[in-house]
Amino acid sequence: MKDTISKEKIFNHPIEKVWDAISKAEEISSWFIQADFKAEKGYQYTFTSEVNEKGCTTISGTVKEANPYVLVYTWIVADTEIETTVTWKLEAVSEGTKLHLEHSGISNYAGDSAIAMFESFNGGWNGCINQLIDYLKQEVNAG
Amino acid sequence: MQDRITQLFKAIADPTRRDIFHALVIASTALSITQIANQFEISRQGVTKHIKTLEDAGLIKLDNKGRERFCYANAKPLKELNKWMQFYEQFWGDSLDNLDTYLNTNKNA
Repeated sequence: MKDTISKEKIFNHPIEKVWDAISKAEEISSWFIQADFKAEKGYQYTFTSEVNEKGCTTISGTVKEANPYVLVYTWIVADTEIETTVTWKLEAVSEGTKLHLEHSGISNYAGDSAIAMFESFNGGWNGCINQLIDYLKQEVNAG
Repeated sequence: MQDRITQLFKAIADPTRRDIFHALVIASTALSITQIANQFEISRQGVTKHIKTLEDAGLIKLDNKGRERFCYANAKPLKELNKWMQFYEQFWGDSLDNLDTYLNTNKNA
């Protein structure tokens, strides 16, 4: 078993468009999580989920690499000081764009406390995502 | 002190240790160090070393009976790890679906 989550997905869209969606703050804020983000090496970013009854979680880290079409940043949940790494790689393919996503360093988390922390994050996250989905639906209906 | 998840990853990173653990799960009964050594054609010392790593990770429990030591499989720690992996699998899977939806609804962007 590897200490890494890997995902691959093909998007039926040009590589530039997908790159903008994963690297520009206003776009990240639309589909993923409220972001103070710049695709510049060394930038200290912050992702903040919207406030709900559980309160919401902050994720922060440093941009390690940001050259089209590779984006790497560290991923630290709340004040855990445990660093994991998220890597986005894009590749132009005939159908559009292939994304390869990796989240590594999960073994850096200490056992029990990390699981408890993440379970609470899970609840908070789902709440925030649902809000986001509602928001996007409204946007689509309005437009 | 290494944390438990790290010890778990270390324990299951080695193919021989995975095989030993698997054999114990399949056996669903305790096996002696001698039995394991015979089954895997590795030295008793080698087995003992692997067993120690598996024990540190909590994947094996040892029971001394007379001069022989018996090993039991304990899969419980793997559940913890699995929980983690499942959480992130789900998290990133959902996020990429959101990204796809976002891209599809912003065709003119």
